[in-house]
Amino acid sequence: MTRKIEDIFDNCLESIFKGEGIDDCLKAYPEQAPELEPLLKTSLVFMQRFSAIQPAPEFKARVHSQLQTMLYAKQKKAEKRAWIPIWQSRWALAMTAILGFLLIGVGTLAASAYALPDESLYPVKLAGEQVRVTLAFSDIDEAKLHVQFAERRAGEMVEMARQGKVDEILVLTEQVANHLDKIYVMEQPPEVEEKGPKMLAPTPIPAPSKGAEAYSKGRGAEELETVLSQSRANSLAALRNALDKAPEELKPVLQQAIEDVEEDYNKTISIIKSGLSQ
Amino acid sequence: MSIEKDVVSRAIKGNGGAFAQLYEEHFDRIYRYVYLKVGNQTEAEDLTQEVFVKALEAIGSYKWRNSPFVAWLFRIAHNRVIDYLRKQGRVGKVVLEDDITLVGGLDPAFMAERQLEIEELISNVKKLSPAQREVISLRFGSGLSVAEVAKALGKNPATVKALQYNGIAALRRLMLGDR
Repeated sequence: MTRKIEDIFDNCLESIFKGEGIDDCLKAYPEQAPELEPLLKTSLVFMQRFSAIQPAPEFKARVHSQLQTMLYAKQKKAEKRAWIPIWQSRWALAMTAILGFLLIGVGTLAASAYALPDESLYPVKLAGEQVRVTLAFSDIDEAKLHVQFAERRAGEMVEMARQGKVDEILVLTEQVANHLDKIYVMEQPPEVEEKGPKMLAPTPIPAPSKGAEAYSKGRGAEELETVLSQSRANSLAALRNALDKAPEELKPVLQQAIEDVEEDYNKTISIIKSGLSQ
Repeated sequence: MSIEKDVVSRAIKGNGGAFAQLYEEHFDRIYRYVYLKVGNQTEAEDLTQEVFVKALEAIGSYKWRNSPFVAWLFRIAHNRVIDYLRKQGRVGKVVLEDDITLVGGLDPAFMAERQLEIEELISNVKKLSPAQREVISLRFGSGLSVAEVAKALGKNPATVKALQYNGIAALRRLMLGDR
C-alpha cells in the first residue's frame, strides 16, 4: 500500500509538472485523494517557490562567453591535431634539431642559458630547449620539460615587465600557452598516435604574434593586465587539469609549476600595475 | 537516435552550437540545485560556472550508455558542491545569506515577499534528511525525472519515489509548524 501511494503521488506530480491541475489527479485516484490532496498542494507551492530562483542574466551571459572562448580554443586544438602529420614531421624535426645542436655547439648553448627574450642568444636557448624536448626518452620526460619551460617563460615575463617590454611579455604568454598545450596532447593522446611512434608534436620556436604586433607600447597597462590575467587563468587551468589526470610521477612537478607560474604572473601583473616602469 | 542524444553526440565531437544548446537547457536547473545546496548567490554562481567549465573539459569522456547526460551533469555539480562544502567545513549545512537577490524588475513588495518565501523554502529544505534534501532539490529545483534523479544519485527509482513522498510530507509538516 505504501509503495502504491508513492507511485501514485509520483504520477500526479508528473502530470502537474506537465501543467495539469491537481483536481484531474484526485479524480483519477478517488480512494487516495484525501491523502494526496494536501501533499500535492504543498508540492505546487514548492514548485512555484523553486521556480523563483533564477540565475542573474548577466552572470549567465558571462559564463556563456567564457565557455565560447574555451570551445574556440578546443576547436583550434582539434584542428591542429587533425592537420599535423605528427609522426612524420617528428623524425625530420629530430634530425634537424640534432644537426642544429651540433652546429650551435655546447659552449654557445651554455652561454645562452640565462638569455632573455630581447637578447641575441635567446633563440639559441629556445633551440636548445627544443632539442631536449625532441630527445626526451618518454612522454613523461617530455611533459616535464614542457612544464619546466613554461615556468621559465613565466619567469622571463617578470624580467621583461621590469624592463617595460610589452611585446616580449605578450610573446611569452603565448609561449607559456604553447608549452602547456603540449602537456594536454600528452594526457589525452589523439588516435593518430596509436599508429606511429609514441612521441609528441614538435614545439616550434614561436614567432611574435599578430596580437603582439598590434599591442604597441602606446597602449595602456590596463589592457596588458587584462591579457595577463586571462593568460594566468588559462595557464593555471591547464596545469590543474593536467594535475587531475597526470600519472603520480608527474604530479609534484605540476604542483610546483602551479605555484611558480602563479607567482610569476602575479609579480608581472603587479609590476605592470605599478606603471610598466620598474 | 533521440534529439538529446544527437545534441550530446555533437557536443562530444566538439560542436560549439550543440554544447551551447545543452548549456541553455541545463544552466538554470544546475544553478537552482547548487543554490539550494549552498544558500548563497555568489557561491552558487562560482560553483555553477565551475560545473560547466568542468563539463566542457570532460565531455569527451562522457559515455551515453552509463547514464543520461543530465545525470552526468548533476553528478559533476553534486561532486563540486560536496568538495566545496567539505573545504568550508559545511557538509550537511546550508547557510542562508542575509540578502537573496531575485532576478526581475517586479514590484518591490512582491519581490520582498518572494524573498521571504525562498528563505523559508531553503530553511525548510535544510531540515530534511540529506537523502530527502537531495531528491527534493533535484526533482523540484531542477525538474529531473525520477529516473534521472535515480541515475544521478545512484539509487533505485522506488527509493527515490519514497524519499520524494516522505520529503514532501515532511516539508508540509514543517510549513504548517511555521505558521
